[in-house]
Order: sequence, then C-alpha cells, then structure tokens
Amino acid sequence: MTEPDSDTPPSTESLSGTASKTENGGHSRERILFAYLVSLAFFFAITAFVARRYHKKVHTLADQWSAKGDSAFQQGDAARALGDYRNALVYSPNNTAFQFHLAQALAAAGHGDEAQSYFLSLLSESPGSGPINLALARIEAGDRATTDAIRYYHDAIYGVWESSPLEMRWQVRRELCEYLLDLGANEEARPELIALGQEVPPRNIAEGKEAGALLLRAQLWAPALDAFRSILESDRHDDDALVGAGKAAFELGRYSEAVQYFNQLPLDKRQSADVSTLLETLESVDTIDPFLPGLSVSEQAEHAAKALDVAGSRLASCAEKRGEALSQTPPVTDAQKLFAARRNAGPDWSRSSLERHPERISAAMSVAFQMEDAALTECGAPQTGADRALMLIAKGHGGANP
Amino acid sequence: MSGSASLGTSQPAAASAPTPLVARARFHWRSWIRKIFTSREGQLFLFLAVLIGVFSGLAVVCFRVAIEWVQFVLLGSSMSPGPLRVVLVPTIAGLFVAVLAIRVFPRTQGSGVNQTKAAVYVSNGYVPFDTVIGKFITCALAIGSGQSLGPEDPSLQMGAGIASAMGRSLKLSQSRIRLIVPVGAAAGLAAAFNAPIAAVLFVIEEVIGTWSAGVLGAIILAAVSSVVTMRWFLGPEPLFRVPPVRIDHPAEFLGFAVLGVAGGAASLLFSKWLQYARPRILALPRWTHYFLPSAAGLAIGVIGIWMPQVMGAGYAVMDQALHAQFTWKLLLVLAVLKIVATGFSFLSGTPGGMFAPTLFIGAMLGGGIGAIEHHFFPSLTVSVGTFALVGMGTMFGGFLRVPITSIFMVIEVSGNYTVALPVMVSSLIAYLISRQYQKIALFDMLTRQNGLILPSVEERREQTAMMVEDAMQLDNVVIVQPDERIADVLARTAQAKQANLLLRAGVGDWRLLDREEIERQMSELASNRTIAEVQSKGPLPLLFPDESLEEALRWVSDWPVIPVVSRSDLGRLAGILTLQGVLRAVQKAAVD
Repeated sequence: MTEPDSDTPPSTESLSGTASKTENGGHSRERILFAYLVSLAFFFAITAFVARRYHKKVHTLADQWSAKGDSAFQQGDAARALGDYRNALVYSPNNTAFQFHLAQALAAAGHGDEAQSYFLSLLSESPGSGPINLALARIEAGDRATTDAIRYYHDAIYGVWESSPLEMRWQVRRELCEYLLDLGANEEARPELIALGQEVPPRNIAEGKEAGALLLRAQLWAPALDAFRSILESDRHDDDALVGAGKAAFELGRYSEAVQYFNQLPLDKRQSADVSTLLETLESVDTIDPFLPGLSVSEQAEHAAKALDVAGSRLASCAEKRGEALSQTPPVTDAQKLFAARRNAGPDWSRSSLERHPERISAAMSVAFQMEDAALTECGAPQTGADRALMLIAKGHGGANP
Repeated sequence: MSGSASLGTSQPAAASAPTPLVARARFHWRSWIRKIFTSREGQLFLFLAVLIGVFSGLAVVCFRVAIEWVQFVLLGSSMSPGPLRVVLVPTIAGLFVAVLAIRVFPRTQGSGVNQTKAAVYVSNGYVPFDTVIGKFITCALAIGSGQSLGPEDPSLQMGAGIASAMGRSLKLSQSRIRLIVPVGAAAGLAAAFNAPIAAVLFVIEEVIGTWSAGVLGAIILAAVSSVVTMRWFLGPEPLFRVPPVRIDHPAEFLGFAVLGVAGGAASLLFSKWLQYARPRILALPRWTHYFLPSAAGLAIGVIGIWMPQVMGAGYAVMDQALHAQFTWKLLLVLAVLKIVATGFSFLSGTPGGMFAPTLFIGAMLGGGIGAIEHHFFPSLTVSVGTFALVGMGTMFGGFLRVPITSIFMVIEVSGNYTVALPVMVSSLIAYLISRQYQKIALFDMLTRQNGLILPSVEERREQTAMMVEDAMQLDNVVIVQPDERIADVLARTAQAKQANLLLRAGVGDWRLLDREEIERQMSELASNRTIAEVQSKGPLPLLFPDESLEEALRWVSDWPVIPVVSRSDLGRLAGILTLQGVLRAVQKAAVD
C-alpha cells in the first residue's frame, strides 16, 4: 500500500488537487494509481495463496474430524462421534454427508429432536432421499408417531438409494412390516408383506427366509408356505425353510405335508421345542381326527370316541381345577350341561355304536368341540398335544375358537 | 514501476525504442488513465470506490483467515479444547495484545465505528494507516485466542483506513477525503458480514446519518465490489446456514413480541453495564491496562472450561443455535455468559468488535425463547431456528440501536422475506425499550466517555425538521389586485396601517407594495388611477407551506416578506414568511 503522506492529519483545504498531475515527491496521480493497480495484483496473488492454503487446511480438518466421528460411531460411542462430527461441520458446514452422519449420531445418542431437525433440514434439500426418509421414519417410530413413521417408510421405499436400490428398498419394506407387526397392525402389514414376499430377489435365501418368517408372524400362511417352498426349490435341505414350511402347512391344515417337512429335518431340529410340540399335535390329529380322508368307518368311530375322551378329560380336569362339580343336577353351567349331554348319550357314542351308526359321529364330535371350547374359555389354552389337536380339528370344522 | 516512468506527458523519448506491442499497451493505458483524470472528480471518486472495495475485500479475506489460523495454532481445531489450553491461551495472548495495543498501535483500542465517525467529523477523514495494520494484528490475535469479540467492527475500520490512505495519496479534495472514509467503512463491513445491503444501511444509519446522493453511489459500489472480492476467495455462503422459515399463524407474532421485550431488556442490561463499568476501568492507573486484556482472557478461559461456546466470535455456535441444537436452558445460559464475556473483553480495552457478540447473544436469546414457546405451546410451528434468526436482528436493533439495518441484515442473511415481519416487530420493540430507558445510544455513549462529542445520528434522526408552515403568519397581510384604484386600497387598509401589502400581479406573480409610495402616488396621480401604476418590488420568490424552513431562510434575508402559496394554486396566498416570524417559530420550538 502506497502511503506517501506523513501520519499527520491535514488541517486545511490546501489539498484541493483536482488536477490530474500534482507534485508529491515527483509522483503524479497516474503513477500512484498505477502503483495501486500493481499492488492490487500483488495483494490479489497473496490473498489467493493464503486462501488456498486456508481452504486446504479446512478441508483436511473436516475430513479428519469426520473420520474420527466414523470411527467412534462404528465403535458404538455415539457421544464422542457427535462431538467429532460437530467439529467436522464447523469446517465444512454445508457438507450433507457430515450433516447426515451427525444426525445419525444424534439419534443414536438419544437426541431425537435435534436429529429430527437435522434430518428435516436435509430432507428439504433432497426430498426424495431414501436414507433420510428412513432415518426420519425410525425417529417417528420411536416417538410413536405411527402415521408419520409409515409415511416416511413409504417415502424411503420409493426414494432414491445410491447403492443397491432394490436391496435397500426391500430392507426398508421389511423394517416397515416388522414395525407394523410390532404395533399389532396386521391388516396394514398384509399388503406390505405380500409385496415383500413377491419382491424377494431370486436365489436370495436369507431374504426369502426373512419374508417367510414375517408372513408367518402375520398369519399369512399360504404366502408364507409359498415363500418357504421357493427357498426349498433352491435348497431342499434348508432347515429354517423346512420348519417354516412345516408350520405354514400345519396352520393351513395340511397335516401330512407338515409332517413331511418336519420329518426332513435332522433329529436335533425335530427335537426343538416348537417343532416337537407341533409334531406331537400332528400325531394326535392323526389319532383323533375322524374327518381325515381315507379312513374306514371303524377308524372314524375309533377317532371320534378318542376325541370324546380327550375332550371329556380336559373338561373334567378344568372343572376340578376350578372346584366345579360337573355331575350336579340339574346342570347349570355350560360345562355341566355338556357333561350331562355326554353322559346321557352314553353308549350311543361308544366306539362300537358309532361304528354301527357313523351318522352319529358328527353330533359326537360337535359335543367334543363344545367341551374343548368350554374348557378353553374357563381354563385357557390347552397344554397337551391331544387337546391342541382337537382344537385344530374344531377350527377346521368351525366348532371351536382356537 | 519501470513501466510507469514514461507515463508522464513530458517524458523524453526512451533510449531504447519499445516494441510495437509495448507501445500499444502504453498508449491504451495512457489514454484510459487520462480519460479517468480528465473527467470530473466525481467519476474518479466512483472508480476509487471500486478500488477501495476490492482492497477492503482482500484485507477482510486475509483478516478472517488470520483469525482462523491463530485459532488453529493456539486453541486447536476442536470446538471443545482442553481446559488448560482454554485458560492459558487467552490469558497469555491478552498480555501480547495489551502491549501491542498500548505501545505499538495505540489507536487500535476502542470502537472502530466511533473512530471512523471521529475521522469523518473531527480529523477531516484522516485514518492513519498504522491503524489498519494494528487492527489486523491485534484483533486477529485477540479473537483467535478466544476473546469474546467479533471481526466486523475492525473490518469496518480497516476499510475506512484503506480508503483514507488512498484518498490522501491521490490528493483528493478535503471534502472528498471526508466522504471516502465511510465508503471504505461500508466496504469493510460488507465483506465481513457478507451482506452489502446491511453494510450500506449501517454506514448511512450510524456513520453518515443522511442519505447523501453524492456518496451513496460510491458506498454501494464499494460494498458490492468488496463482497464480490470476498466471495471470490471464501465462497458465496452466508455467515450462517439459515433453516427454512415458515410462519403459519398470526398468534406466532406474540412470541416475537416477547422476544422483542427480552431483547430490549438484554440490550439495556448490557449497555447499562458498559456505561457503569467503562469510566471506572478507564480511570484505573495506566499500568493496570497492560493486564486488563489478560485478566479478561483468564475470566473468559474459566467460563470456557464449561462453556467453550462463548469464546471467540462464535459463528459456528450461532449456526448450531439456528439449527436447534441446544436446549432452551443452555441457550439462555449462553446468552448471559456471552454478555459477561463480551463485557470483560470490551471493557479491558482488547481490540475487537461488538457486532458478532451482539448477534450471538440475540441468537441464543431468540433460540431460548423459541424453545420455551415450543415447550409450552407445542402446537405453534415456528422453528427455534427462526426465533434465533429473529433474535439476532432484535439484539442488533436494541443494543446497537440501528433498527433499519437490523431488519435488512436479517433478510439479507436469511434470504427470506417471510422473516421480515417478525424481525420488524421484535426489533422495533427492543429498540423502543432500549431508547426509553437508555437515552444515549451505545456508540454515542462510548465517544462521550472518551471525551468526544460527535454528532449523534440517532438524535439527528429523531429531530423533526421545521417547515415553512410552522413559521408563516396568516394575518397582517392585505392582498391587492392590480385593477384596484389607489384610493380604494388606501381606504381599505386605513385601519391596518402596519399590514404588508401584497400585489397579486398575475398567477404566481406576487409583488410587494410600499404604503408610503402608494400615498405619495395618490397625491401626485389622479385618485382614480389603478394600483398597477404604482411602483412595486418583485416578483417575490414563492414558498410552499411544506417546504423546509432551512431552505426558506436563504430568501428571508433578501426580502422582508415572502408569500407562501398553495402548490395547487400559485395565486392563492396561504400566509407570509418574515424574519421575525422565523425567529419566533424557532424560539417556540426550542421552548417546546
């Protein structure tokens, strides 16, 4: 900067200087202006150099802090990651990736409101972003704002995903299904689950299993069976698929098919709690269901008589537990009335009588179903495989509430 | 500079003949430069304004980088440095700053705005260039080491210093040098704020005080060129990332009114504290002043152990407040602690500005009130960030007492006109509260404490200009028509011999009649002659009732009576203006 004057303030109007050339130590205005332009170029160059160094430093710092934040976040230290990402954002405030990571760390550290604020700000810039919509959906789900959560989940499903979009959309839909099932909103979950089952990428066994499991949770037995069957087409020894298919077939009343799936399992799997219970029930169904196809009249009578015994025992044990006398006359409660009906029918519903009069099997089974139903109402879910089997048979014939 | 040796018009031919390309370049340079200097000085002034803007922009870029660099080196790159560093750095740096500010650059202490005003009104536009260098070094060290001050005020003064130096070196006329200082100030502030409109308005509102057409163009040019230069190197991003602003319901304005009241109270608290403490600090023995910045640094460092956010200018923290990253409790605590920290820094005489801390306090206060509103009235939808943004303008209007600048600054920073209404409501309330209970504005108070009485822009703004209608008389005048007979006129005015006689000679043509002359004519001429034949003075200058009395005064000394006429009918007399009438009106206004 040229500073030709002395450092004393001028006191008079002597510096009129409208002429283009004024003597000042030999310098004219032109020369001073030229000197200014030269010094401007010099100053410009210095500033450019300084600014470039500064930006480089700032970018380096931003990246360093972000890397520290990533490391802390991956180690599960969200609080430390939070500070690191904040530092990164000081040096690169408009970096949306840093903002996204910070918001994720905020959410993980339990600062939901702040995280939401960041995500909303990011969403306003990229409204179609899948990851941002998903993050917002999770926050809203955590806040029990179901409607908003579902909306954000849908926006995430139909949003933009930079890498593996099909895979990510499927995962988001799976998460939405789980969320809905956790809420008990099975009706709302059904269309999503059906879409989920249909969108399983070919030969992707893991995702197929996840879809099948969710379909089972939603009691969508037929699609669940289809999902597991398609896995079994790729790998017919997949244990999880066999268990899932067996359960779905069981619930659909396809007992022989269910037994078939379960029997393909290795022994240790068959002895697992859920499979062994189902197998026990299935075996009981085989022995007490008079409506199984292909049974002779004698077998039908035998099954019906056993069913009556099972139901009678269940009713008696329930009454005993409750301290109720089933043989009271006149009968008052439903259980007493059913007991009386069974007693009155007496020899008519014996195995031999039913064999002689197979037309009585339906009436006998109806009373058996009612007894099981009454026991269910008074004493809760059955404990033995035979009772469960009877409930299943009743369900298949509209006789009791399973 | 060898190339410039042959620029003079009377230089002999060079010993070695230049190449055709060089010769052509010289010819173009010479003709261009002559074009500038042979044109009116006004055009040179505008060209200089651009040059000043570019220089100021470059200086501000280097200044901001220097502050950041000092911070990296001394405090590290984390927003939460270690406790030992937080305490030691501002304390030790304070000692260096004190020695520099007292021994090496003694003119760097105090408010840059006031020093610029003093340069305009006291020193004929003289701002020594060592002030620019001193401000650069001391402020970079002070702010970078964590003192709670901002870079805008020093940037303003650096711009003014650059402009003054350029004006003096180019031997501009005295009046031009006085005008060029605010041009530089606007350039410096615009680059520091990245907000040219707010900078122009601030300089007009606080430094010049009037909308002078002569300087307005130059100020705008300088501000724009400095901002363009600054953006070239530091990018176009505003100081803060402003969240979307949305105001759905008129009831939200109640919240902004509350913010206005709180901002007014905070402004009062802050300025009253400075008003009380500063004279006492200034009265301390001189040797103690070497330790005051260090003591302030220690106090700020101790606060910074728990709340490092209050250290430095605090732009990053304001950015966080704008994005609702703090709870209302933390926001209010930060607002209070920032007042304390900034008070310490400023009172200690550490060079630096009050703009950024004012914005910081406003952002925290606004964010805090917004967060409280959300807590108690969750149905209201205005974001905490919007409250923080409006809070900045509120504090700016209330504490610095620049309401117009505060409104435009917020609009410019946010790039959103939706925020204009809330900031108008809030800022105006804060301004009115502050003005009601603190008669003297901050900048005026500081200059008076320094023993200077500069023209108070706020007082000037509030003065009501006297109009012609305030001083005109409606009586003691008789209007005479040219076709009236002399005898009739004399008869008509027999009862009012002291009345002024005004002849309406035509539309807009008024003349003054002398009664003695009429009487003399009466004796010489036949009594049935008309008044048109009598000698009269005029035509008289015309005034309008809504004209400024100041304008009218230049006619009053030349004419004993001046007709005041209606703008819609120059033949209709609204009153007359006399010197006695003016004096009476001025006296009455002074008594009122």
